[in-house]
Amino acid sequence: MWVREERAALVGRVRLLSRLTIGLLVALAAAFWVVQVVRGSTYRELADNNRLRRLTVRAPRGTIYDRAGRVLVENAPSYNLTLDRSETSDLAASLAFAAGALDRPVGELESALARAARLPHFAPVLLAEGLALDQVAHFEVARLEHPEFAVEVTHRRLYRLGAEGAHLFGYLGEITEEELGREPGRYVAGDWIGRRGIERAFDAQLRGQDGERVVVVDSRGQLVDEYRRELGRPGEPLTLTIDLELQRLAEELMAGQTGSVVALDPRNGEIRALVSHPSFDPNLFARRLRRDEWRELVEDTRHPLQNRAIQSVYSPGSVFKPIVALAALAEGVVREDERIHCAGTATYYGQRRRCWHRGGHGWVDLRTALKQSCDIYFYELGDRLGAARLARHARLFGLGRPTGLEIDGEKGGLVPDDEWSRRVRGHPWYPGETISVAIGQSALLTTPLQVAVAYAALANGGELVVPHLVRGERPPAPAKRLPIAPRHLAAVRDGLWQVVNAQGTGAAAFAAGLDIAGKTGTVQVVAQETWIDSATLPWEQRDHAWFASYAPAGDPRLVVVVFVEHGGKGSRAAAPVAKALHEKAHESEHGIVQPS
Amino acid sequence: MRKHTNPSTGSFSLPDGARLRALAGVRWGLLLAALALAAIGLATVHSASAELAVDYLPRQAAWIGVGLVACAAAFAVDHRLLLAFALPLYLLSLLLLVLVLLVGHEAGGAQGWLRVGGFGFQPSELAKLATALLLARMLARIGGGHLTGRDTARALGVVAVPMLLTVVEPDLGGAVMFLPVVAGMLFVCGLPWRLVTVAALLALLAGGVAWGQFMKPYQKERVLTFLDAERDPSGAGYQARQSKIAVGSGELLGKGYMQGSQSQLRFLPARHTDFILAVLAEERGFLGVATVLLLYGAYLAGGAVVAIRAGDRSGLLLVTGLLSMIGFHVLYNSAMVVGLVPITGIPLPFLSYGGSFLTVCFFATGLILGIDYRRWVNR
Repeated sequence: MWVREERAALVGRVRLLSRLTIGLLVALAAAFWVVQVVRGSTYRELADNNRLRRLTVRAPRGTIYDRAGRVLVENAPSYNLTLDRSETSDLAASLAFAAGALDRPVGELESALARAARLPHFAPVLLAEGLALDQVAHFEVARLEHPEFAVEVTHRRLYRLGAEGAHLFGYLGEITEEELGREPGRYVAGDWIGRRGIERAFDAQLRGQDGERVVVVDSRGQLVDEYRRELGRPGEPLTLTIDLELQRLAEELMAGQTGSVVALDPRNGEIRALVSHPSFDPNLFARRLRRDEWRELVEDTRHPLQNRAIQSVYSPGSVFKPIVALAALAEGVVREDERIHCAGTATYYGQRRRCWHRGGHGWVDLRTALKQSCDIYFYELGDRLGAARLARHARLFGLGRPTGLEIDGEKGGLVPDDEWSRRVRGHPWYPGETISVAIGQSALLTTPLQVAVAYAALANGGELVVPHLVRGERPPAPAKRLPIAPRHLAAVRDGLWQVVNAQGTGAAAFAAGLDIAGKTGTVQVVAQETWIDSATLPWEQRDHAWFASYAPAGDPRLVVVVFVEHGGKGSRAAAPVAKALHEKAHESEHGIVQPS
Repeated sequence: MRKHTNPSTGSFSLPDGARLRALAGVRWGLLLAALALAAIGLATVHSASAELAVDYLPRQAAWIGVGLVACAAAFAVDHRLLLAFALPLYLLSLLLLVLVLLVGHEAGGAQGWLRVGGFGFQPSELAKLATALLLARMLARIGGGHLTGRDTARALGVVAVPMLLTVVEPDLGGAVMFLPVVAGMLFVCGLPWRLVTVAALLALLAGGVAWGQFMKPYQKERVLTFLDAERDPSGAGYQARQSKIAVGSGELLGKGYMQGSQSQLRFLPARHTDFILAVLAEERGFLGVATVLLLYGAYLAGGAVVAIRAGDRSGLLLVTGLLSMIGFHVLYNSAMVVGLVPITGIPLPFLSYGGSFLTVCFFATGLILGIDYRRWVNR
């Protein structure tokens, strides 16, 4: 049965098979050599990519305090819902559950999911932000049935005052592709940066430096271990010059109005309050703004995003008169006791001009002219000065150019003169226009902040301070000494004191013992042929109301400028606001605490 | 009373001295290689199950114990006695395969498990052994240096029945594993090559039919994914990719025992069973893999020596069949782990966790050693 030849044939084939197998084993070993040794480092990297995840540790943004250390802007925990698509077998059911728990339409979640279409399958997708605690509870309770959902805690900017001070603080926004490209390396995608106000101006200090954690995760993305941690640097806190109480009071007083308030310390330029109305809630921007919310803000005809204190320019009207008076005194075109007759009207360059007071003020000197805000007196001064000298003095007081406040977007306004007219309008300046400029009309345009700085110069004896919101962050630009004779300044200041304290146009701002000095201003919006009270006109045709003031008159510590768009007369709409703020500042300074 | 010879050892009786000499002449290196592989497997299974709910080390140790008993039993029994019972064994295994279809437990999409006590058991493994026995018996009876077409057809028929039963479980991978057994034996017997050509064409056709009719979507996906690895990197390609990453990242010396991130962080699927070599490759590097491949080489080469010097045709064929089975498992599993062939559920002999196959491998080792022991007697 076991024939030799047969055996030889079989054995031969066994040998063949055996050699074939050994050969294949050697080939396999070669394959392992290639994968493990030749290309090993590539796979090592892939294995590390598998197990290591880089997590950005967001540096908390710096807290913003008022001058007394009260918190204005901070960070609050916010709950975000994420979905891990690899953990669910029925995506539609998962979304339906989430929509129910969140009480939001499924479509909204679907579009959030659609945005993440390019992410790898296992990467969690951000479905919703800013969950309420009861919604968080919904997902925590359903953790077993819905392991695909996770609630992550992040920090969101919280503006404690809501809409109050919104223009001051500004808001945050997610960085755009374009901004990323502009300064490569400074930011990363997903960063939130200051968009306006303090948040933008001091973004570098406030943002700090993000840290990074490299963690080891398993195949389900569960964190197993920490591999490496690079500490970030938390954002630096910022202390503002703002007085929270004064700011809040100013906000309250302006409620329902359109306009702005600037309160600053004339001694150093520190801004105590800065209000612009209407306002917006910067907390809306702390999460992704919905399209309709953004449209509502942008399309609002009253432009709530505009910071009226620094970005809106208006004719200063009669609040410009003290500067005209100082210019005329300095140029020697009028003496402080010189009397000029006001008959209610006067004619210059063939044009009949009216005083606001129909009956005229009679013979008025500089103090009375200020106190009564006599237009005829200042027409005359303007005519004597001429456009060039008037413009030069206006510029000395900082009008027509940004004051240098830290937050950007500040408008310059305009101090018109012949050069400007030729350049922009293409024709020479008409002397008749100077007459209008002398009472703060015509092409003269200022921001409320410029007016506040100019009045600070009146209040502090002639120093042009640089207004600022943050103490010590930037070396304060040295105040510029204006060439004003003390005697001339004293006369103007006396006039401004009389405006409030001697039955002048600003009597509404009178407060016993406070010694408020100031100047009203009423700016016509629509040219009127007759003397009518604009309060009877439709809102958008009513006059703008100014009141620029400082107190106490003898040793001024606070300048308050109030501007109310279409507020009617400055004496009526703006002066009481300034008075209340001076009172509040006085109380604070003397430790008088009002029962709240 | 006169001592009866052990019925299991049959007619085998030698003087004590000759017996000792015969024992000493057995290719024990085979067993040493198997034990070394099992020991490496034990340690690797421990590492691979570190992140699992249970440590499979004690169970695997127990299975190795069972395997050694099976090995000793197989060694003690003359293979010709087993060949005498080949048909009943074959029929019994078919019965079990039918039984598993009726009351079997499902695992990994296939209903291939019978549960006895706490242990799972795969009848298809037993069927492979029984088929190998029956084939050896059948083919040994045929003389000559070549097989006829009829002989070949008969042999294939013997394989086809348990294969088909395994296919319908459905366990295509397990069914395919019958083929190396019969292929090895037929090759050694001398195949009629003209017929083989025809059969190959038929097989291609059958493959097409299988693709259209029998293959589950996941199986098709595996094949397609193998052909185009970028097809679905997070789905079916995931296992292949993760295995290759595990292997490659081990580099020359490995990341250290129980330090493999692919294994310990659960990126690697089926790491204590079919992908045990990937765990070893990651933690022990190319040196670990080379050691294991060397041991397999030693085992297979040693086995070939046993086949070549076997005393009878049935012994030679049986050893060939068993070695073909083990060799194919080794080659396919390693090639799969390193990403050369599509993934299918084929365990690595002696290393992978899993009782049935481990026991079968040790039993086969015992059979081979027994054939070597009796090579002078069965001439």
